[in-house]
Amino acid sequence: MDQSTTSSFCNLGILDSLSNDSICEILRSYNGFCAATQTLLAAVDDLSARRDFVAHVHSLCKHGLDSLVRDHFLRVLEETFERNGASRFWRHFEPYSNVTGLNKNDDLEIDEDEILSVLHSALEEIYLEKGYQEKCLLMLVHAFQSYKKQVSRDTRDLDAERNHLTTKYQWIVSSVLTATLPRNFRVILHWYFKRTLEELSTRMDEELQDHESQSKDGMDLDEKGKICNKVGEMDVDECYNDSRYSENNKLVNSIGKVVLHLRSLGFTSMAEDAYASAIFLLLKAKVYDLAGDDFRSSVLQSIQSWIQAVPLKFLHALLVYLGDSVSYESSSSGLKSPLASQPSSFCPGIDSPSEGLVRWKLRLEYFAYETLQDLRISKLFEIIVDYPESSPAIEDLKLCLEYTGQHSKLVDSFISSLRYRLLTAGASTNDILHQYVSTIKALRTIDPAGVFLEAVGEPIRDYLRGRRDTIKCIVTMLTDGTGGNSSASGNPGDSLLEELNRDEEIQEDVGIDDDFNTDDRQAWINAARWQPDPVEADPLKGSRNQRKVDILGMIVGIIGSKDQLVHEYRTMLAEKLLNKSDYDIDSEIRTLELLKIHFGESSLQKCEIMLNDLLGSKRTNTNIKATISQPSQTSGENAISMDTISATIISSNFWPPIQDEPVNLPESVDQLLTEYATRFHETKTPRKLQWKKSLGTVKLELQFDDRIMQFTVAPVHASIIMQFQDQKSWTSKNLAAAIGIPVDALSRRIHFWISKGIISESAGVDTSDHVYTIMESMAETSKNGAGSSGIQELLGGDEEEERSVSSVENQLLKEMTVYEKFIMGMLTNFGSMALDRIHNTLKMFCIADPPYDKSLQQLQSFLSGLVSEEKLELRDGMYFLKK
Amino acid sequence: MERWHAVASWTWDAQDETCGICRMAFDGCCPDCKLPGDDCPLMWGACNHAFHLHCILKWVNSQTSQAHCPMCRREWQFKA
Ligand SMILES: [Zn+2]
Ligand SMILES: [Zn+2]
Ligand SMILES: [Zn+2]
Repeated sequence: MDQSTTSSFCNLGILDSLSNDSICEILRSYNGFCAATQTLLAAVDDLSARRDFVAHVHSLCKHGLDSLVRDHFLRVLEETFERNGASRFWRHFEPYSNVTGLNKNDDLEIDEDEILSVLHSALEEIYLEKGYQEKCLLMLVHAFQSYKKQVSRDTRDLDAERNHLTTKYQWIVSSVLTATLPRNFRVILHWYFKRTLEELSTRMDEELQDHESQSKDGMDLDEKGKICNKVGEMDVDECYNDSRYSENNKLVNSIGKVVLHLRSLGFTSMAEDAYASAIFLLLKAKVYDLAGDDFRSSVLQSIQSWIQAVPLKFLHALLVYLGDSVSYESSSSGLKSPLASQPSSFCPGIDSPSEGLVRWKLRLEYFAYETLQDLRISKLFEIIVDYPESSPAIEDLKLCLEYTGQHSKLVDSFISSLRYRLLTAGASTNDILHQYVSTIKALRTIDPAGVFLEAVGEPIRDYLRGRRDTIKCIVTMLTDGTGGNSSASGNPGDSLLEELNRDEEIQEDVGIDDDFNTDDRQAWINAARWQPDPVEADPLKGSRNQRKVDILGMIVGIIGSKDQLVHEYRTMLAEKLLNKSDYDIDSEIRTLELLKIHFGESSLQKCEIMLNDLLGSKRTNTNIKATISQPSQTSGENAISMDTISATIISSNFWPPIQDEPVNLPESVDQLLTEYATRFHETKTPRKLQWKKSLGTVKLELQFDDRIMQFTVAPVHASIIMQFQDQKSWTSKNLAAAIGIPVDALSRRIHFWISKGIISESAGVDTSDHVYTIMESMAETSKNGAGSSGIQELLGGDEEEERSVSSVENQLLKEMTVYEKFIMGMLTNFGSMALDRIHNTLKMFCIADPPYDKSLQQLQSFLSGLVSEEKLELRDGMYFLKK
Repeated sequence: MERWHAVASWTWDAQDETCGICRMAFDGCCPDCKLPGDDCPLMWGACNHAFHLHCILKWVNSQTSQAHCPMCRREWQFKA
């Protein structure tokens, strides 16, 4: 009874003004009220307790003590709920207190069906308890009402009273539960929704597939086109004709019931979080499942169909069940079958879906786009390797990015995978270049303005600038379809230049429909959110393609200038032309024409003259042959006729510097060449010929006792082997003297024949001398272990060493090496320097012996060499000494 | 041996290397030409000085009276 004393104590002021009788009555009524409350809430619902309860309430109200009644009743209600509701409720979940995560491994210990039924029955129980308490609360409300009716007939505040008490009670319920919430409950809920939704989605998936295969069976093409629409519109009528419909409906209803119960306990947002995250998990799994590592088909459409067909359908049913959906057909929809009452359900633009569902649709779609986008971005490197076969994936990614606007994510992720995967010492320059070109082609789709390419291309360009063979690889890629590009995608045998040209022609034919306006570009820049460089003012870009991504421009950008590219091309062209044994230059002419389109005629003037020399040589050759009617030499078994001689006559001023080494050709050949030159002088007076005897190609057929071998070799090699016609064995000194080259050069050259098993090498009498002997038969060859057999056709040469044209780098290297010390000294003093500054300083200080007269590009190329030799380092455009 | 494909460069059989008028190499061509060799031949004067044909023709045509060799100032006569 301490409760009553404290209560009375609180009302001491009132007690003073009361008569003894009144005090007695109040005390009696209060005690009675407390007892009746206790009895009622203890769920002993008998008639007399009710009657007593009402009578005591009336009596206390009479004395103006209604607030005391209210407070006491709510307090007892709270205690009872704590005892009978909350603590009993939580006790159900105690066995699962170790469930702390949704990890699959953790779940192994749990009987899933058990936990499912535990949740259901616990919710049922607490719901019943709560329902009973609400009934008691209503009893109090009724008691107040009936008192007021007796006293004043005033019924205005009655609803207010009820609302007030119900709200109070609801607040008590949720605060008691929240205060006692165990950690594992959230996890259990999450798990529950995940599991039930998985089950539901599996069934709905099956339905979807059945539906599709059904409609695909025996229908014509027209109808086939409708599948998508049907799936999209969630044609419920057809889908739900079978018994599974009621199964699904039951499942949705039972989920709905759980949500309703949770709501009534004040767990509205917790429930929503739980099923939302379950849905997102499901969606994520679906996206991964559909997309996977297949880049060759578009998946966005099927993801969207799935969202419509599974989660949205579920949410729709759930919202209807919960009564949240302001349905357009609510009048006719009975609560019993919410799904059935919804016809073809919601699809944007059709009917009016509830606001909640529209929000859900947007959330789900955004999530799906983002998930797919992240998935594709993480595999962008592979996707680009697979380009153009992977263009569906690129197209998907484009749409996702347009929706999410997270372009910068792509930039960061792709650059880091480039650094990790591509820009490493192990990758060949060719592979890097091809990936670069594929990147440009692939990302053009996503980023027609090239803003983002600028950012992604930068690290590749920087990296390539540090490699010495970059220019050569670029020129090869541009001009040569057959050589070098092992990993080329696209048509083999087609140079990049050819391809670019074809693309351009196609674009011209189609018209410039892929032109976009500046607004688009601006939008893109905004979306990408970084400061782009304005598209470089590149003279190569015609006004027509000004706003298009210029592949060629981006490639030239690696080198720095087109002049350097043209220069390298000229060097490579020279080498190629000088190694030709015929005058067939059709493909070179075609390439030159293409280059002229892009780089302008004037810069390729020299190359044109080189090709023209070849054409002129062909004519001259024919003329000279015509003037020589009869072979001048008819004697001797080694006699050769003028017919076997042909020549390439070059205008040396227009060719790159050519290294010619003196060599004594076989006498017969030498005589013919002299005669050839004389004829030339006769027909072309006052022009004369100067032979470059070490250049050219010689086709040989070697006849041995037991075999015939064919070779195509350099003149030096031919001279060497021809010396063995008359003399089977030579000492290196004598042979070198006969051919007119140094001994060390000879030993390098002759190695070619040794490796073919045609000449054998043995120690001579003198240790510094070697003896070379020709192998007359196969038997001898195999005895010596060396060699090969059969007919061979090889361009003989000691690989790199025997380039007839000194390459740009070698030439430059020779000229630049004198400055190397000076550059190193500068960098030691200044720490780091930009290209410009090094260039200017050299210009300023190296004015004599030899004066510095190199271009910026030549300096850059030289520095790249030093970088690749690891003498220097290039970071952010600054050169450092490598530590 | 089946075929010997040799490489040679041609040159004008002249004493000087460059044309005294345009200062370009004889083995190149005059500023008006694109292709060297037959298309832009040399021409010798009686004084044995040589020029690009196109250069000396322009020179001769630009002189109002009798033209002189730009190198030795002797009266210009095309060498027969
Ligand atoms: Zn001239
Ligand atoms: Zn000319
Ligand atoms: Zn003269």
